[in-house]
Amino acid sequence: MEFKDYYASLGVEKTASPEDIKKAYRKLVRKYHPDVSKEPDADAKTKELNEAYDVLGDPEKRAAYDELGRGHRPGQQFRPPPDWGDFEYAGGMDSDIFADLFAHLGRGQRRGGGGFQMRGEDIHAAMSIGLRDAYQGTTRTISLRVPARDENGRVAMQERTLNVTVPKGVTPGQQLRLAGQGQPGSAGPGDLYLEIQFAPDPRFRVEGHHVYETVPVAPWEAALGGEIEVSTPSGAVSVNVPAGSQSGRKLRLKGRGIPGQPPGDLYLLLEVVLPPATTDQARALYQTMAREMPFNPRQGERP
Amino acid sequence: MNETDILTGVLLDDEALTLDDFARACAVEPDWVVRHVQAGALGGVHEVQIASWRFRSADLRRARALLAIERDFDANEELAALVADLVDEVRRLRTRLHVLGLPPD
Repeated sequence: MEFKDYYASLGVEKTASPEDIKKAYRKLVRKYHPDVSKEPDADAKTKELNEAYDVLGDPEKRAAYDELGRGHRPGQQFRPPPDWGDFEYAGGMDSDIFADLFAHLGRGQRRGGGGFQMRGEDIHAAMSIGLRDAYQGTTRTISLRVPARDENGRVAMQERTLNVTVPKGVTPGQQLRLAGQGQPGSAGPGDLYLEIQFAPDPRFRVEGHHVYETVPVAPWEAALGGEIEVSTPSGAVSVNVPAGSQSGRKLRLKGRGIPGQPPGDLYLLLEVVLPPATTDQARALYQTMAREMPFNPRQGERP
Repeated sequence: MNETDILTGVLLDDEALTLDDFARACAVEPDWVVRHVQAGALGGVHEVQIASWRFRSADLRRARALLAIERDFDANEELAALVADLVDEVRRLRTRLHVLGLPPD
């Protein structure tokens, strides 16, 4: 695995005081906060900062990290010393395991020994699904890296693959609880919480259990009204466009949002699209309209 | 455990958490939860009896957001609640813009 330079992540010297480390972390974590940052890599950066601060902000973990760092340069391959706790390294490690190393070390030192019965920690993770999965329900395969005890009682980081049923009718931000799928512990395992996130969809947009869709219409469909065929998350439907519709008109298809009790609605946002005037015939038609239809869209505007 | 098993989870909105389970899910003492509910920083609880308090998806997300702010900035709990309110409002407005087909900026 690669040695990560947590000091560089926080932009501080190796000799920085705990107070300086805290200051540097707070400044950066604000700058890259995913809810306010305009930086494109805000999410990844926040993760890196949290990982670095989790180690350098804790005196015990920092000391262990410094110990480990002696003789290693950033990016260099390294093997942790054999006397490091009861760790056993499974194959196929990636850089995230570097962080797990310290997470686990801290836990072991604080709570190890004494025979204290402790339930394993709960794990929080996010799971991304598509909108159609919410309409129909699905099964997703997710991978988690968790410490697991082998038959000799040693702890090793293991990749665990889980197949998870996503029930029909889920909405963004909902939490799926999988009892007993968290960290192992002497008094039983913790739980796993999966936050449902929706992958961006080019056509449909979701707000709670309501779904929005932009539907392009021709000027005559909007002006004269009529039936149009619209493809929705639950299949193609025939929709009646009211005569005299303009761009931005919202049509509500009740109960065609995400299913549930009650189900959400599907909103169609009409967008009038003009045919291009690229042929003589099209130009002639526009000219006829201009001549024969008294219409000034800016009527009523002050000069 | 057989790793090819298909696991079925429970949505917190179908089966809400008790105070103890909720506190464990947030990795805090139940006192932390009680204090924040009573201060109005954590919502969704209308029962008078603490034993009948139940917590759903939105509460878990909210509690974890509050905790992150309090921890990362050693923030005063009232200020953390205000920041969480503002973040929620920004998210709500951004979602509004997005569903109406408008750019975020």
